[in-house]
Amino acid sequence: MKRVVILFGILLMFTTPCIAGVRVIGSGDSMRFDPSGFPQNMKAAYEIMKVRCVKCHTLERTVIAVTTGVAPITGQPFDRHATKAYGIKMLRKPDSNMTKQEVKTVVELLNYLLDEAAK
Amino acid sequence: MRRCCCFLSFLFLAVLFTVIQTNRADAIPAFSRLYKTECSTCHTIYPELNEYGEAFLKNAYVYTGKPRAGSEAEAAAAEGTGGAESAARKEKGSQSLEPRGKVNEGIWLAGIPEIIPISFTASLNLAYDEHPANGDKVDLSTRALLLNAGGAFRDKAGFFLSYVPYSEGSFDPSTSNTPLNNATNIQELFFVWRHLLDTPVNLKVGRFEPKLSLWKSKNNITVSALAPLVYRVGNSLYTVTAPEDGLEANAVIGNRLFVAGGVVNRKGQNTKEGYGHVSCKFGGADLLGHEPSMDLDNESIWDYLSATIGAYSYYGRNAVNDVGNYYYRTGVDLDVLYKRLRVRVGGVEGWDGNPTFAATKAALRSFVLASEAEYLVGSQVIGAFRYEYQDDGAGITRRYIPTVAYAPLQNTKLTLEYKYEAAPAQIDRIAVLGLMFSF
Repeated sequence: MKRVVILFGILLMFTTPCIAGVRVIGSGDSMRFDPSGFPQNMKAAYEIMKVRCVKCHTLERTVIAVTTGVAPITGQPFDRHATKAYGIKMLRKPDSNMTKQEVKTVVELLNYLLDEAAK
Repeated sequence: MRRCCCFLSFLFLAVLFTVIQTNRADAIPAFSRLYKTECSTCHTIYPELNEYGEAFLKNAYVYTGKPRAGSEAEAAAAEGTGGAESAARKEKGSQSLEPRGKVNEGIWLAGIPEIIPISFTASLNLAYDEHPANGDKVDLSTRALLLNAGGAFRDKAGFFLSYVPYSEGSFDPSTSNTPLNNATNIQELFFVWRHLLDTPVNLKVGRFEPKLSLWKSKNNITVSALAPLVYRVGNSLYTVTAPEDGLEANAVIGNRLFVAGGVVNRKGQNTKEGYGHVSCKFGGADLLGHEPSMDLDNESIWDYLSATIGAYSYYGRNAVNDVGNYYYRTGVDLDVLYKRLRVRVGGVEGWDGNPTFAATKAALRSFVLASEAEYLVGSQVIGAFRYEYQDDGAGITRRYIPTVAYAPLQNTKLTLEYKYEAAPAQIDRIAVLGLMFSF
């Protein structure tokens, strides 16, 4: 029994925050999604998100929005309407350097993550 | 000659420094601290506002639709099904993630901002003037220190303070090695009662720049402000953006139309002054910061194009030794944004009955125009060119002003501005390297 408890304790040390279907790794500014369980097309989308979104803000902001359902700065609900609105906002940001196709891909990823987080 | 070489070397080094410096931007002043967001949320290169900064300003420093911090789940639940899902996720998320914006309920109930929303802005300038009044062609000086405070009392009211603890005054070598403090003063101090009696009307009271032009005096990347906003006629101190003590009502109507009107009280005279403003925005985010609908499958020029047009009028009277000057200003502004390009055009027509406050009245008409195009290069550099035409009744002055502004950090701006000014008396060439930082 003692061994089981110790083993369980060791396993706990290696756990990461997990919100339903969304796995999150790191903490604070280095907080990000763990894409290992993503479908292949979402993994590709995550590669875009990783590069484009962190140009202006950390992925922690995105993680909090997806996992809590509340955009951390504005305090407004972060749902499917919001993902598209944020996508458009980032597209129109003069220095985002995002194309419409990239925005569309990231919005689809955010919607996927919202669905997973709701499970 | 040697001094000129030193100055040019300094300019070269300064420009070189701006080019080779690359850092990720972080910023900290009052609103940034209060809302835990970066300067670029509201600014292109500060202090120039982007369309979300304009929306934030019009909304009396409250994010549009922001619910009470600490009760996001309730607010989300009120949004309906999607909101309920959000609330559920919030509940789950809170088990493992520390939510931001956690607010002490007592402080929230009292309406007090959780942190003291104060910041400072400092301006240091290096100026070269071909024809200086005091013979000092190259002038390195600490121009001003500004204290800013602003925020909101829950979503009921907003407030703003701009106070000048130091501005460069006269130089007296018998008392100090540096210029004396000109004067401390409150530039702006106002309170906004938001959405008066659940209407879209905001009521502003205090000292502020009356809402006339589309842009406040500091809403640009250049060292010098746009001529229509700051030009004077005769001895009258009135300018379009001069702070006044007054009462203003303003409202966003239908998300795209902004109207404002107010009354100004001038000390020592019973005659009140009045003004009105109307502006409309086409394309882009609306005046409350809501994104436009967009087809993400097809490209369209309208996805990136926005234009705001505004018109205003001010009628007033000022006096010196009981000799009065009635005057008016009427202006039109246009602000066009397309991706990285921004074009601003503003013009003012004015009339002053007795701007020299002389016993024998002599009326003057004025007409001032400014057009400016600016282009954002990368995220940290803006290049701009401005043309100004100023007929203030005393003669015609034309200015050509190329400018480069660089923000190595979001709270720090280095501006190199060259002004070629052809005035009736002489042609002047002024170069200014301005460093501005907020903290």
